[in-house]
Amino acid sequence: MEKLILRRVGNTGEEMLLNFGPQHPSTHGVINFLVDTDGEVMKRAVPDVGYLHRSLEKIGEITGYPGFMPYTDRIDYVAAMFANEGYAIAVEKLIKVEVPPRAQWLRAISCELCRIASHLVSTGTMATDIGASTPLVHALRERERVNDLIEALCGARLTYNYHRIGGVAFDMPAGWRDKVLAFLDHFDTMLVEFDRLLSFNSIYVKRLANVAVITKEQAVDYGLVGPNLRGSGMDWDVRRDVPYGAYPNFKFEVPVGRGSRGTVGDTFDRYYVRVLEMKQSSQIVRQALDSIPDGEFMAKVPRKIKPEAGEAFSRVESARGEMAYYVVSDGTDKAYRVRARTGSYMAMGIIEDISPGLMVADLVALIASLDVVAPEIDR
Amino acid sequence: MPKTANPASEYVDNVTDTVQSFWHGLSITLSYMLRRPITTQYPDRTELRVRDTLPPRYRGFLEVDAAICTGCQACERACPIGCIQITLEKDPANPKQRVVTQFDIDEAKCMFCGLCVEPCPTGSIQHTREFEGAQRSVRNLTIRWAEPEFPVYKVAKGAEYFPRVTLGSLVRAKLDARPWHAPGPEYLPPEPPSAKAAEPAPKPPAKAAATPTVPAAKPADVMKAAAEAAPPAEAAAPAAPTVIAPVAAPAALTPADGQKA
Amino acid sequence: MPVNTPPVPYQPKSTPKVIVAVTLAAAVGIPALLLGLILLLTPILQPATIDAALAAAGLEGHRTAAYVGALAVLALLMVNFGAIFSGVISWYERRIAGRMQSRIGPNRAGFAGFFVWIADAVKLLLKEDLVPAEADSVLFRAAPYFVLVGFALTFVVLPFGHSLVVADLNVGIFYVTSVTALVVVGILISGWSSNSKWALFGGMRSAAQVISYEIPAGVAIFIPVAMAGTLSMQGIIRAQGGLPWEWFVFRNPAAFIAFFILFTSQLAEANRTPFDLPEAESELVAGYLSEYSGFRFALFFLAEWGNIWVLSAVATTLFLGGWQIPFVSAEYVDGLRGSGILPAAAWWGWNAVSMVVFVLKAIVLSNVVVWLRWTLPRIRVDQMMALCWKYLVPGAFACFVFTLFWELAVGVAPGVEVVTGVGLTVFATVLALLFFRRVRLNIQAVQGDKFDLSNW
Repeated sequence: MEKLILRRVGNTGEEMLLNFGPQHPSTHGVINFLVDTDGEVMKRAVPDVGYLHRSLEKIGEITGYPGFMPYTDRIDYVAAMFANEGYAIAVEKLIKVEVPPRAQWLRAISCELCRIASHLVSTGTMATDIGASTPLVHALRERERVNDLIEALCGARLTYNYHRIGGVAFDMPAGWRDKVLAFLDHFDTMLVEFDRLLSFNSIYVKRLANVAVITKEQAVDYGLVGPNLRGSGMDWDVRRDVPYGAYPNFKFEVPVGRGSRGTVGDTFDRYYVRVLEMKQSSQIVRQALDSIPDGEFMAKVPRKIKPEAGEAFSRVESARGEMAYYVVSDGTDKAYRVRARTGSYMAMGIIEDISPGLMVADLVALIASLDVVAPEIDR
Repeated sequence: MPKTANPASEYVDNVTDTVQSFWHGLSITLSYMLRRPITTQYPDRTELRVRDTLPPRYRGFLEVDAAICTGCQACERACPIGCIQITLEKDPANPKQRVVTQFDIDEAKCMFCGLCVEPCPTGSIQHTREFEGAQRSVRNLTIRWAEPEFPVYKVAKGAEYFPRVTLGSLVRAKLDARPWHAPGPEYLPPEPPSAKAAEPAPKPPAKAAATPTVPAAKPADVMKAAAEAAPPAEAAAPAAPTVIAPVAAPAALTPADGQKA
Repeated sequence: MPVNTPPVPYQPKSTPKVIVAVTLAAAVGIPALLLGLILLLTPILQPATIDAALAAAGLEGHRTAAYVGALAVLALLMVNFGAIFSGVISWYERRIAGRMQSRIGPNRAGFAGFFVWIADAVKLLLKEDLVPAEADSVLFRAAPYFVLVGFALTFVVLPFGHSLVVADLNVGIFYVTSVTALVVVGILISGWSSNSKWALFGGMRSAAQVISYEIPAGVAIFIPVAMAGTLSMQGIIRAQGGLPWEWFVFRNPAAFIAFFILFTSQLAEANRTPFDLPEAESELVAGYLSEYSGFRFALFFLAEWGNIWVLSAVATTLFLGGWQIPFVSAEYVDGLRGSGILPAAAWWGWNAVSMVVFVLKAIVLSNVVVWLRWTLPRIRVDQMMALCWKYLVPGAFACFVFTLFWELAVGVAPGVEVVTGVGLTVFATVLALLFFRRVRLNIQAVQGDKFDLSNW
């Protein structure tokens, strides 16, 4: 593997070949980058992934359909609800069961809360990578409150296993709605303050503006998704354009990068799109709590899920972008193949081609702005 | 901010931006100094025990109330990682009654997903709010709910309510029964194939071969040589002395265990 | 089987009273001891007093020995002050950082975690002492001492009070800037001798940072020197007064700007955020400190944290009026000395007050240094260089030229300074009030937060 990468990096000559990782505080997980640099400016940075491979997709072939749900949490544990939902939608397509509306609303609420939590981690760790360690702790403090809410809902704070094939596992507990609304009231004001601390800090902006610009065409070519794609100016959001679940019933804007502090598609745009998305998520949760219908929270699903042979594809807008599941069934109760396509994996592809000419400090900013989460890459 | 063509005004803008960002940033951090930190000073300076402040749905350690377990093995089938190990036998005194002779949950392997709790017909297996169960030896995290072995519960027709002990009391008792640094049980190596190949079924190593699931069968291997309660099965007693003999160093056992099944 | 047992009684614990008492004794006692010793020993162990004492005792021949002894005692005292201040401010910074981040810092090693700096020092002492095989062993071992010496030597001229300075050199502030250049030598040596390309680059980059920022610092220092007419530290302080409008920072609009330029440049020289690139490179790779462990590492950080005192003390001396007591002039205190070998009690009293004034001002500035670290992100190398050469250096030179003309104007019409002094003081007070109002608004703006000093 090293030889392959060295061949791609080329003759280093005067420059140093450096391992940036796999244990590193700034790589958002266990990823290695082979960086070819002269100390200041990089010639190229090649990602080397696979350190966190846990054969999750292979496990999907052993556990059976309901049993794989907790494993989907671990595909991206920062934003686990989306992984749950994607898998559930794919298998529901396979067994042709319809999810009751209350469950769709609950899925949307839990997912948007999880989006807030995930973006808090993303923006906070980005601030820490740039050097300001205070915003991370503030962001994590708010995330703790979201975790408390979800803990009251489903019992776990990180690997939720809340969605089920056919609905969700639990209904809202008593008093939860008011707690969520109280949190959102607090969160909206706190987000304004968080924004003031970071987005209008000129040192922070100067570190991020005009750095690592990814144009719209490049973003589409490399298959970037989610805030990375929208930060480059492409207006595409699966919730609005390929609607699923309860999203057609909510009114929300899709923030797109506009180059407000630099160029369209720089790291600041990708960061700011996430901040705006948090605001939108908060509104979606409010609308959902207001309009949630009564009814069942779980459809009637056979005890042993044994779909007919076939395949199903589902896509959800995860915090990190479009997460797609492709489930193939061969008629037995265990899947033939479960495949998850995640946003961070696609982001790895573009790093090598954007990196020439960047400084090493900018590589840190780039990785942080792409919101790379290593377990998603390697599964 | 749109780039101005005028470098002088850009220069001035830079200075004013910097001053403004300092003003906002410094005021925000100073204001945080004056607000209450949210640290919970666990474990000894909280107002309440943390375990009592957790929400009711919290997925902590699993607990089985043997009094209402029906022995249906639904939880064992539902577990995606195979941390539950159940063995049922017929009671020799009463052939119509089944007895659960082994109900081991490997809490170290458990991923606290809650999939076992849902299919339980009586609510015997539940997630509790206990999370303080750290042990020095990972083998001590396997909790044996079938010591002593218990008869399966017969569900009355039309019953809607099954009496259960206070949630968390059983698992707390089990965790408190020995200190956290108690040594784990010692395992003996598997029997040499030539000597005991034709032994009849009721013997602990054969039990492990009978249950097909993934190698959580470690607990089934345990010869009760170490300080454990009285051996549950009647057949283990004559087997134990014969197998103890070839034991050598415990250190050699660790790789051998995992390959047992 | 416990079925419905009553809950086990639980009472939250707090720190035992013994530990509280010991910590308070240490927290109050150690600084009091050090400052008390500085108060007592620095005026006595001066050549004039020693000569008089030796003459009175008839031991003139032992002057050299007496001088050497006096210098050794003062050196020990000052280096101890630097080291202990460095330790205490590391604890203080961690507590402040915690509070700013909605958490509490260390609070178990002693009441409020006060002994954590002693624990850290002991831990670093007990770590394995590594010298890389390929490194230049002599230089590798020597590098931290250059940094430490560069830091410790500045204490010779730092004043603590009216007459509380080890030696009031007549080139005082110039001595400080020249001696802190030794730190650069130390950094370069540590980077080079680690025999690692990355350490070398890290060392060169931080050396470039320190050297570049010496220039605006130096030019900004010219301004109080020009206003006071002397390079000596005590002289500069004596040219100011105790009341805020008599401080140099408010007496001259260029000095107001130069204060911020000096503060920024000294932050960069001390490698503090937002200029902590040498340590931030340790986020990517290690920088010049990579190969150091144990006590040598501790020495680098001792010098870094101790530099906070040096930079605060220098800024206080030059711009904030130093130890000048409001409404009490330095000459009045001089007059109280009396002609004996040992000064009179009233003199000691006023000296103690002047020391308290100086230490309070320096502590306020140290607080600002700590506060800035936990608020601002890091700037990149090229942006740091741009800041220095494009903004600070021209600004400093502009202020300097302005000051030259200002001094001419003041020579003609002294009232100008008083007017500016009062005007800028009022301006600064209004700014401070607006700032605190902004702080209060911040707390009110977030729903659910309020002013609350609990949870230590």
